[in-house]
Amino acid sequence: MRRTGFLYDERFLLHDTGPEHPECPARLLAIYRGLEEAGLISKVRPIKARRADQQWIEIVHSIKLIMRFEEACQWGMSELDHPDNKICGKTFETAMLAVGGILDTVDLMMEGEIDNAFCAVRPPGHHAEVNRVMGFCFFNNIAIAARYLRRKWKLQRIGIVDFDVHHGNGTQNIFEDDPAVFYYSIHEHPSFSYPGTGREFERGSGEGYGFTLNSPVLPGGGDAEYKALFEKDLFPAFGEFKPEVILVSAGFDAHVDDDMSDIKLSTGCFSWIMKNIAGMAGKYSGGRVISVLEGGYAVDRLSELARNHVEILLGIKA
Amino acid sequence: MFINKSMTRRVITIGPEAAVLEARRKMDDNGIRHLPVVDEHNKVVGIITDRDVRSALPSVFSACKQAPEKIQQISDLKVGDIMNKKVITISPMDTLEDALLLMQKSNKGALPVVDRDGELKGIISTPDLIRAFINVLGIKEPGTLLCIVVEDKLGQMKKIVDAITEEGIPFGSILVARHWEKGKRAVFPYLLTVNVSKLKRKLENMGYTLLNPMEWSLDQTRKN
Repeated sequence: MRRTGFLYDERFLLHDTGPEHPECPARLLAIYRGLEEAGLISKVRPIKARRADQQWIEIVHSIKLIMRFEEACQWGMSELDHPDNKICGKTFETAMLAVGGILDTVDLMMEGEIDNAFCAVRPPGHHAEVNRVMGFCFFNNIAIAARYLRRKWKLQRIGIVDFDVHHGNGTQNIFEDDPAVFYYSIHEHPSFSYPGTGREFERGSGEGYGFTLNSPVLPGGGDAEYKALFEKDLFPAFGEFKPEVILVSAGFDAHVDDDMSDIKLSTGCFSWIMKNIAGMAGKYSGGRVISVLEGGYAVDRLSELARNHVEILLGIKA
Repeated sequence: MFINKSMTRRVITIGPEAAVLEARRKMDDNGIRHLPVVDEHNKVVGIITDRDVRSALPSVFSACKQAPEKIQQISDLKVGDIMNKKVITISPMDTLEDALLLMQKSNKGALPVVDRDGELKGIISTPDLIRAFINVLGIKEPGTLLCIVVEDKLGQMKKIVDAITEEGIPFGSILVARHWEKGKRAVFPYLLTVNVSKLKRKLENMGYTLLNPMEWSLDQTRKN
C-alpha cells in the first residue's frame, strides 16, 4: 500500500455560495463520507489546511487581484466580478487555506513523507487567471502548486492532467509560454461548453509551443472517446516529456449523472483514467502525483468517485 | 454597422506601372491576397489578386526551362497589364451587411473602400468580416451556448429572455436560425456563465425543447 496524503479540512465548508449553487459544501461532505464509509480515513495520511503565505499566491496572481478578492469578502459582497463567483465573508480565508494545504502536501511529498495525495479542497481553481476570477474559481490551486514545485523544489518538468469537463483556461493561460510545465486537458468541445477555449489548435506559444495539449470531446461522448484520446494524445506526450511530478486537476463533472455537461463518463472510466495517471507516475515521476479537486456537482456520485480515486492512489483498488 | 468602423485603414497598394513580380513580393511580405491599384492621386484604377499574379507568372515546374527572352518578358510584365479594371468597391458609409451580401454576390474576397471622389480610404476583406463575426458571437468571452427550439410566433423570444434574466445570467449574444423546420425557429443564446444546469431544467419545465448539441445547425435547409 502506498502512503497517500488526504488534504481535507472542515474550514473548506465555510466558503458559502448561497442557495442552489452547484459548487456547494455538500460536495466535500460527500467526498469525506465516501472515504469514511470505505474505511479509508485510517489508511490515508490526513493533512489539515494551513493558511498560505501570500508570497506564494503572488507567484501566479497579481497583488491587485488578491487585494480586491480579500476586500470584497471583508466588505460583505456576495459575488466577485460575476454572478458565477459567489463569495461570503469567509471565502478569501478558505481559498488561502486551500492553497496553503496544497503547498504543505507538496512539501510532504517532496520530503518523502508521502508518495502521492488527493486534496479535497474548495474553492476550485483551474479557471482562475493571473488577474481574473471566473467559473467558481478564485486562486488557481494547481498552477500555484506547479510554480511552487519549480521555485522551491527546482523541478524542471511538471506535467498537469486536467480531466474536469471544462477546459482549464486559467492553467493553460498561465503556462502557455512555459516549456517546463506541460498542460494537458480533456474536456467537452468548447463550442458546446464553458468557457469556450481548449481547442485542438491551442498548443502553447513562444518557447512553450508544444507544451499545451487539448483533447476536445463532442457532446454525447463517453468512455470510448475518452480512452481513445488519452491513448492517442496524453500517453505519447507524457512519454516524451517525462514529468518529474504529475499534478491532476480532478473534476468529476464529466460523469453521466452530472448535468453540468453533455459528456457521459461511467464511474469506471474515472478509475481507468486515474489508474493510467498513476501508472505514468510510476514510470516517469517516481510515483509522485498530487490530485486536486476541481468540479464535480453530482453530489450523489462523489462519494464513490472519491473512494475509487483514493483507492487507486493507495494502490489497493482491484 | 458602417464599413468605416470595420475596414482596414492602412491599405497596401501598388501602382499600374509596377512590375507584377513587385506585386507578388508585396503580397508575400504582408500575407495578403489583394492589392488595390491606385494612381498618383490615390484613386483606384484596378485591383490585382494573388490568383491574377499566379496566372501571369510561369509555374515552378516550367520556370527553369524558360528561354531568356521569355524571362525578360515576364520581368517586364506590369501590374496594369493584368489587373482587373472593373473593380467592385464599397463606400465607407455602406454597411457590413452590404459588404457581406456584395461579397457573396460578386464572389470577391476583398472590396476596396472608396469615397465619392473615388479616393481609396481602406479595404474590407475576409479577415475583417471574420473579426466582426467573432465579435458578434461574443465567443472571446467565457460562456456557454444553448439551443432552444421555439414556435415561430410573436413573444417567444421575450419568454426566453425573461427566463434567463430571472436567473441573473448575462447574455453574450443571441442568434436565431431562420431556416428551421416549418413553423419553428432555433434560438441560440450565448450565456456568459458556467452555471446553466438550473436554467436548462427551467426551460424544459416551461415546455421548450433543448436541442441535442450534435444536431445544432444555423441553416437546416442547406443540404450541401
